Amino acid sequence: MIAEELITDKGVSAGDEWITVAAPRLREALAALKEDGYRLLVFLSCVDHLADSSREWPARFELLYELRDMEKLRDLRVRAFVDGDPPQIDSVHGHPALTRILMPDDWVGHPLRRDYPVGGEPVEFSEEHETWLTPPTEA
Amino acid sequence: MSIEDTTGQGVTITQSGQQGAFGGELLTINFGPHHPSTHGVLRLIVDLDGEKVKRVKPVIGYLHTGIEKQMEALRWQQGVVCTDRHDYLSPPINNLAYALAVERLMGVEVPPRAQALRVIMSELTRLSSHLVWLGTSGIELGAMSVLMYCFRERDTIMDMNEEISGFRMHTSYIRPGGVMADATPRFFDLLAKFLREMPGHIDEYEDLLTMNPIWRARTIGIGRLAPEVAKVVGASGPMIRGSGIAWDLRKVMPYSGYENYDFEVATNDGCDCYARYLVRIQEMRESVKILAQAVDRLPDGPVNVDDRKMLPPPREELETSMEAVIHHFKLFTEGYSVPPGDVYVAVESGRGENGCYISSDGTHKPRRVKFRSASFVNLQALERMALDHMVADLVAIIGTADTVLGDVDR
Amino acid sequence: MGLEDLVDSLGQNVLTTTVGKVIGWGRGNSVWPAQFGLACCAIEMISTATAGVDIARFGSEAMRASPRQADLMIVSGRVSQKMAPILRTIYDQMPEPKWVISMGACASTGGVFNNYALLQGVDKVVPVDVYIPGCPPRPEDLLNALMILQERIKAQGIVTR
Repeated sequence: MIAEELITDKGVSAGDEWITVAAPRLREALAALKEDGYRLLVFLSCVDHLADSSREWPARFELLYELRDMEKLRDLRVRAFVDGDPPQIDSVHGHPALTRILMPDDWVGHPLRRDYPVGGEPVEFSEEHETWLTPPTEA
Repeated sequence: MSIEDTTGQGVTITQSGQQGAFGGELLTINFGPHHPSTHGVLRLIVDLDGEKVKRVKPVIGYLHTGIEKQMEALRWQQGVVCTDRHDYLSPPINNLAYALAVERLMGVEVPPRAQALRVIMSELTRLSSHLVWLGTSGIELGAMSVLMYCFRERDTIMDMNEEISGFRMHTSYIRPGGVMADATPRFFDLLAKFLREMPGHIDEYEDLLTMNPIWRARTIGIGRLAPEVAKVVGASGPMIRGSGIAWDLRKVMPYSGYENYDFEVATNDGCDCYARYLVRIQEMRESVKILAQAVDRLPDGPVNVDDRKMLPPPREELETSMEAVIHHFKLFTEGYSVPPGDVYVAVESGRGENGCYISSDGTHKPRRVKFRSASFVNLQALERMALDHMVADLVAIIGTADTVLGDVDR
Repeated sequence: MGLEDLVDSLGQNVLTTTVGKVIGWGRGNSVWPAQFGLACCAIEMISTATAGVDIARFGSEAMRASPRQADLMIVSGRVSQKMAPILRTIYDQMPEPKWVISMGACASTGGVFNNYALLQGVDKVVPVDVYIPGCPPRPEDLLNALMILQERIKAQGIVTR
């Protein structure tokens, strides 16, 4: 069983169970959950909460690990919050072959961060081209 | 030894320079991205010992479209258009994942007729996706007439898509709140004719391929994916069902009314390319069964959820009701806002588990939309399946993984 | 090219008009596309080659895998930042005379996606002869574009561009 002290927060969002763990103890938490039966990592992703006023976020980057137990058919979302530039967490830091996979190797910047503009060409008379071409500082 | 990438950066393959079986060095070749048999712009860097594959490194990103970033800049209802285009062989199924996720966050449930129409469109798309797979796999292994036969049926499905939504491929038919519009009587006529003829056509494909000695020689024993490896890699769809594990999201985690239909999960214990071929043929037959049941039991009623804060009012109301005009205006300028929260919904596409994760910050645009792509995960299995096979088998193995590069790269 | 320079210097006469017509007719009726299927439009391109909407009637059934044997590049699909240099390389590998059809909205102008990851139109790296709008265009649209291109090729004859 995952130790109760590893879980800093938990809840249910639109029918999905989630728990928050402290980022430095992520590896421990995920190992304990794997022993519990959550053996499938459905996806690993990150959400950038820059200028997000919907609630109080512990840090800017929220890492998500969606785990699934294929025997008991239950899903669990594990969240870990990290800050920093570049942000560090166990599952990424120390990876032997950390290269770009989707953009060319010499690309500057991280497009999915919220302060990277959407880019593209300006569309005249469109109310949105300014927001698309400049990085937002506010939500 | 390192080879030059297109950007001038070196990509080092650690095994080159090693001795091969007959004393020669390992040869590194580049397979793609512009290649007729890689099912899209997939680049593989392959280490060869003579004809045998010793290592396969996929390089992706040649179709990266920035869909997830694009959707952060579009409103919730505008985002449906982008969801069509990542797994471009099954657009309605992608739409369905997104629509279900938004509806769960909004807390609405679509009426039963909409659910049944969604099932009909999903199954038609599954058929069209498997037909494209069969046609292109056939032509890559030399069976050219299979392409012609499969695309003939696919054209019929495209006609039905066009009848119901106006688009052949990227229908954007399934939207948060319901579906675009009700099906016309002509759609049901076309569908009835299709359902009468399709089992005979599937028999035709089986006649051409299943007992064909060349097809069997090229697919039996090729691309073995053991069940434990399939689970470790996180494979889903025919990749895992072709290894004997009966994991189909429509059965184990049903959505949109699939629990009401009577169908079987196609599995095969062969673990090789031939097993996956048989699984997909069986899936086509099961899809026809589901379609027949869905059309028979199609309930009457509205096709959209009756929530004016989410969907626009009918045009006639705009002439008489002020609230209707205000709702219409708000929906088409600012768009609706989804309450803060996050949700993940997975659906079963032709390739496996395609899912949509949405994080909303309460505004009229998403904070983050992430697509869990079946092809991206299934691609990991490529190296394990291809080891110690010949280069020509690599084509069969890429075909059997049925990766859609739009889904891999998004 | 020696022959074409010689022909240019002869000006308009029976050699350049009648022979030009024959050569234009020959080139136009056997345009061999290089497969450059990138994304969704590629599926509609394959559909154009199949029996319902047969592109073989127009002489283009031989979709060559090697660009060195092709004279038409049908860019079907969205061109990402990583793919752009490769597109240009393949275009440069095609021998003259060559033409480019930009199939679909993404290849023509960036399409639905106006962002950092895509070239907003393939004409930023290669010169395009015919643009086809649509997302994806119908197979008949591709045939229409091919027919427009064929008219142009036949009219061009032997005169250098």
